[in-house]
Amino acid sequence: MSEPTQKNMLKKLLMRTQNRSRLWAALAALCIGTTLLLLSVMIWWNFRELLYGKNQNDTLGSTFLIIGKRVTEQNMGVANATVFTPQDINDLKTAPQVEDLGIISSNHFPVYAMMGGKLAFATDLALESVPDKFIDKMPAEWKWEAGSKDLPIIISSQFLDIYNYVFAPSQGLPQLSEGSVKSIVLNFKAGKDEQSEMFLAHVVGFSDRIGSVLAPQSFIDYGNKKWGKPGISEAPSQIILKTKDPSDTKFADYLQKHDYNTNSQNLRWSKIRAIVEVVTSATGVLALLLMGIGTLVFILFIELTIARAQNSLTLLLQVGYSPKYLSSFMTARFLPLVLGAVILSMIITIAGQVVTSLLVISQGLVLPTLPGWPVWVALVISTGILVLLVSKSISGAIKKT
Amino acid sequence: MQLSLQGIIPIPLREKVNTYSSGIWKNSLQLNKGEYVFVQAPSGTGKTTLIHILYGLRKDYDGEAKWGTHVLRATDNEVLATLRTNNISVIFQDMRLFPELTAWENIEIKRKLTNTISEQQASEWLDRLGLKDKKNSMGKTLSYGEQQRVAIVRALLQPFEWLLMDEPFSHLDNANTDKAIALISEVVKTRNAGMILADLDDNNFFPYTQKIIL
Repeated sequence: MSEPTQKNMLKKLLMRTQNRSRLWAALAALCIGTTLLLLSVMIWWNFRELLYGKNQNDTLGSTFLIIGKRVTEQNMGVANATVFTPQDINDLKTAPQVEDLGIISSNHFPVYAMMGGKLAFATDLALESVPDKFIDKMPAEWKWEAGSKDLPIIISSQFLDIYNYVFAPSQGLPQLSEGSVKSIVLNFKAGKDEQSEMFLAHVVGFSDRIGSVLAPQSFIDYGNKKWGKPGISEAPSQIILKTKDPSDTKFADYLQKHDYNTNSQNLRWSKIRAIVEVVTSATGVLALLLMGIGTLVFILFIELTIARAQNSLTLLLQVGYSPKYLSSFMTARFLPLVLGAVILSMIITIAGQVVTSLLVISQGLVLPTLPGWPVWVALVISTGILVLLVSKSISGAIKKT
Repeated sequence: MQLSLQGIIPIPLREKVNTYSSGIWKNSLQLNKGEYVFVQAPSGTGKTTLIHILYGLRKDYDGEAKWGTHVLRATDNEVLATLRTNNISVIFQDMRLFPELTAWENIEIKRKLTNTISEQQASEWLDRLGLKDKKNSMGKTLSYGEQQRVAIVRALLQPFEWLLMDEPFSHLDNANTDKAIALISEVVKTRNAGMILADLDDNNFFPYTQKIIL
């Protein structure tokens, strides 16, 4: 005589009516719903990380705008008419969408750049400096101290583009890579006559954000102090703003009201970003909906299983099995399936994150290889809700028996 | 555990019962542990209804039925389950075995609920009722008589203070009836339990302390 275990007998009575293909379909629906939800949270979080995260992708999240006071017929030639007063700067700090601002300092002393050889040239040069936190790609060599003859400079990427695609072809000169430009040493003469000093300038980086030649703040301050023309205003004529969403009409109105000038291309990028944010949020809502449908399908499957085992359930209750015991038994049968589906979803999501992080590297962006905390929170919450719904639907269905 | 009935009238029998007064319907009745009550009634007068009311399966009646302090109509299913595993056992008229389980599994699924009777003891009881060779037969393949004997053994596998029986020997021949009566008497006596037996005729299966005619 075989020795049947209580669980085996209950399984025979209560689970035998399960249709395998329906079970797999219900599990697939649940798994797809959960995976889509987790993936949408992952995408949303990755997007935020790229835009606003405290990492190397800082450029993407915030739009950096360089603003100046518009030169008009009226203020043309008027001294200090286009410089920012302390009042203007304080006001800008509280302007809509402005997260941070930096003063762009320029040289008030002559700088003369020279180079010999095949690429020989000599030109007067204007230098600018910005606080380090506003530099998009901070080079390791970005440092200058008084007394040093080596001067690191950052030039606009646009300069190299203009040289390579416009100037070099027209003059029969060789095109230059970023690496080769960095190996060139320029002679800088700063200051006037006998007080002038010679420096060996090296291009240490390229900026997509600032369209001029940048020198370290310490060099500009040193030069302005030593060779600056007396009486020239120290007030900046340009400000760099870190903004969250410059496409915001309030911000645009603010610029217009104060007659500030900026690059409208940046405003357009911000609009595109806003659209992507809306699309990401819409995907999240859709995923939530699909997860709801997946959960519903699974719960309906459970209720169908219970309904089919109605006679056995009724008899079990009549021979003395308690509803709680039977609910626990059924829950213990279904929960591993739910958890299996959730674990599979999580594995897919983790794989998705790993692949995404590898893909974005080729774009020069950085993402963590594991999903961010919101994905884990979504996992815990969705699993909790699933477990609760499954338990409730089982106990509810058994109660009705 | 005392059984108290107070003015019970099953709703489906309301009109019929109102035309007469019986020993149970409409009246008050108190039964104490250890009593043997024989309820005799012809078909259609509510024997099964009474057993189902006392077992907590039906709530469609007027009046009040109480096991100890438990008012049956107000008792939730969890408490009912405890009563059904520890205090009240039943032999249904329609046996109510699991057709998809074997005779032995039908025994085991009940026995393992409380584990108060050993597997060996349960097996012996089945043997005593002539089911030795039927243990591995599926419930649905057993004859009515065999099902009834399995149902009798199943009812005895738990602790109980009261055993409710609804025409428990209706499908048994005399020899098997005698064996079943002997087994039930032995177990009931050991437990010092009470019995309520509902049947059509006064077959005097057990020496009753109270006879009620519905």
